Amino acid sequence: MKGTVLYAAMVVALLGSCAPGLPRRAEALISLEKCTLCHGKPEFRKILVDGKIRDLFATADSLKGSVHEMKGCVDCHFDISEIPHRERPHRVTCTHCHYKGNAEGAPQSDGYLAYFDSVHGKAIARGNAKAPLCQDCHGSHFILKAKNDGSLVSQGKVAETCGHCHIQIYAQYKTSIHGVAVARGIKEAPSCTGCHGEHKIYGRMDPKSTVFATHVAEQCSTCHGSVSIMSKFGIETEQVETYKESFHGVASQFGSRTVANCSSCHGTHEIRPEADPLSSVNPKNVPKTCGKCHPGANPNFAVGKMHIDAKKKEAGIVYYVASFFKYLTIGTMLALIVHILLDMYGRTKRLRGEK
Amino acid sequence: MSVDEKKEPSQESLEREIDAAVSGETAGLDPARADEIRETIRQRVRAEMEREMRLRTAADRRAEERRLREERRKEKHHGEEEMFQRFNRNFRFQHIVMFTSVILLIITGMPIKFPNFILSRFVINLWGGIHNSTIVHRIGAGMLIYFMVHHLLYTILSRDGRRDFVLLIPTPKDFRDAVQNIRYFLGKVGEKPRFGRFSYIEKFDYWAVYWGCIIMIGSGAFLWGESIAMKYFPKFVLDIAHEMHSDEALLATLAIVIWHFYNVHFNPDRFPGTLMWWHGRISEHEIKEEHPLEYEEIMARRAKQAAEVARQ
Repeated sequence: MKGTVLYAAMVVALLGSCAPGLPRRAEALISLEKCTLCHGKPEFRKILVDGKIRDLFATADSLKGSVHEMKGCVDCHFDISEIPHRERPHRVTCTHCHYKGNAEGAPQSDGYLAYFDSVHGKAIARGNAKAPLCQDCHGSHFILKAKNDGSLVSQGKVAETCGHCHIQIYAQYKTSIHGVAVARGIKEAPSCTGCHGEHKIYGRMDPKSTVFATHVAEQCSTCHGSVSIMSKFGIETEQVETYKESFHGVASQFGSRTVANCSSCHGTHEIRPEADPLSSVNPKNVPKTCGKCHPGANPNFAVGKMHIDAKKKEAGIVYYVASFFKYLTIGTMLALIVHILLDMYGRTKRLRGEK
Repeated sequence: MSVDEKKEPSQESLEREIDAAVSGETAGLDPARADEIRETIRQRVRAEMEREMRLRTAADRRAEERRLREERRKEKHHGEEEMFQRFNRNFRFQHIVMFTSVILLIITGMPIKFPNFILSRFVINLWGGIHNSTIVHRIGAGMLIYFMVHHLLYTILSRDGRRDFVLLIPTPKDFRDAVQNIRYFLGKVGEKPRFGRFSYIEKFDYWAVYWGCIIMIGSGAFLWGESIAMKYFPKFVLDIAHEMHSDEALLATLAIVIWHFYNVHFNPDRFPGTLMWWHGRISEHEIKEEHPLEYEEIMARRAKQAAEVARQ
C-alpha cells in the first residue's frame, strides 16, 4: 500500500516536471514584485536601432481582464531566470501552451497549426523578421477572445490590426463600402478576415487562397448569395447567379484565372457602391474598368444593366430574344419529334401487315 | 513436321538435287562434316519453301475475301444495278467541312452552356482547359465561316449549285407532300408522296442549316471580336448576341441529333447510315423509292438524248 502511494507520487512528480507550460520551480521563484521593480515604471522603454521605441512598461494590471488573467510573467516569459537579464529575453512562444492536447487547458484548435502553412507563417520560416507572429495580431498582454469587441482581432478592430503592416490596403478598405459598414457596427460586413480567412491566410496567387482568382466568386457569394443576409440591407442576390451563368462565370468555374471575377470589376479592397463616383462600376468608370481586359470599351457600353437574367422581364430586349428562341426551339422540336414518332408508327403498322 | 512425313514429289527431287550438288562439293571432306553441311543446307531450303507456301496461302485467302465482299455488295444492291451520282465532289466536301466544324463547335460549346452537367468539366479538361477549348471553338468557327462562303460561291458560280438551290426553294407541293406523308404514316392513304430531287425533309434540313449559320456566325462574330463590338455597341447588343448564340446552338444541336440523325442513321431504312456522304452515289432501287420524280426526269432526259442521237 505504502509502495503504491510512493509510486503514484513519483509519477505525478515526473509528469509535473516534464509537462511543458507548467511553471518550473526555479522560474516560479521570480515573483511579480521583482518584475515590476523595473517594468512597473511608466518610462521604462528601449530605443531600438531603427529609432522605434519599445515600451517595456508592464504591471500587475497588464493581464487583468484578459484571457491570461490567471497567468504570471514567467508563465510566458519562461526563459527569464535572472534579474537584470543578462541575455535579451526571447519572444514569447504561444505554442508553448496552445497546441492540441495541452495540459494547461489552453484553447486548442487546428487554427494555430494552419498559421504555419499560411503566407505569414511561411514568411517567418523564411526568416522575414517583419512577418507577424501570434502576438503581432492578437496583442501581447491584453489578449481578449476574438468575439469580444475589444479584441484586436475582433470584427470591428481587425482591419486596423492588419493595417499596422498593410497600411495602404487599410486606407483603401477604410473608405470602401465594407469598411464603412464595419465602422458603423454592422456585424455581417466583412473585415479583412471575412474574405481572407483567419489563420489560413494565403497569398492571392496561391491556389489554396480564398481570394485566388477562381475562388473569388465563391468567397463573395458566401454573403452575397445569401438572401437572409442580403435582404437586411436591400441588396439583390441575383448577381451571383447571373455571374455564374455569364461567360465570365462559366470560364472561371472551368478554372480560367484570366477571366473576370467579382473583384476584377468591383475592385478588391476599394469596393464602393455603384452610385459612388469613385466606384469602378460607376457608369462613368465602366469603360475604363471593362477596358482593363477589353481595350476600347466605349462610354455607350455602360448603358443598361450589367448583371442581366435573360429569364426575367427586367432584362428587356434580351428577355424577348430568349423567349423567342425558347418557343422556337420547343415548337420546332415538338413538330420534328411528332413527325419521327408518326414515321415509326407507320413503319410498325406496315411491318405487321396492317393497313 | 508434316513436310517431313509425306514428302511431295517436287520436294523429293529437290532434296536429291541438293544431295548431288553438295556431295560433289564435299567429296574430299570428312563424312561426318559433309553430312552436317548437307543437313544445314537442306534445312535452309526447307524453311525457305515453307515461308513461300505460307505467303501464297495468305494471298489466296485475301483474294477470296475480296471476292466474297464484292459478292455480298452486289447482292445487297440487287445485282448489277445502276448507281446514280447524287452529290458531286464539291458538295460532299462542303458537307464534310460543315459536319467536322459543327462537331468541334458542339463539343467545345455545349459545356459552356451547361457548365454543371457532369461531363462538361471532363470535356473542357480534355482540351487542356477552357483557354484551349475556346481556341478549338474558334477553329471550328473558322471552318464554318469558310463553309458558308464556299457554299455561297458554289450557289452562285457552279451550275450544279444553282440548279440545287432552285430545287431547294420550298414550293406548295412540299406542304402537300408533308400532309400526304403524315396521312401515309397514319395509314389513311396507301401511297407515299412522290418526291423530286429534294424531299420536304431535306429542304427543311437545308434551310435549318442556312438559318443556323446566319444566326451563329452573325452572333458569334460579336462574341469573337468582343473588343471591337464593345467599341461601337452598348452592352445589350452583346447580351442579345450571347443569348442568340447560346439558344440557337441548342436548337441546332437538337435538330441535328434528333432530326438529322433519325433521318440518316436511325431510320430503319438507313441504319446504321449509308456512305452516300462519302461517295455521293445512290442506287437505282433507292432513287426510285426516295426520289421517284427525279428518277423519271433522268430517264426522260436519257430517252430524249437517245432519240436525238438516233435522229442524227
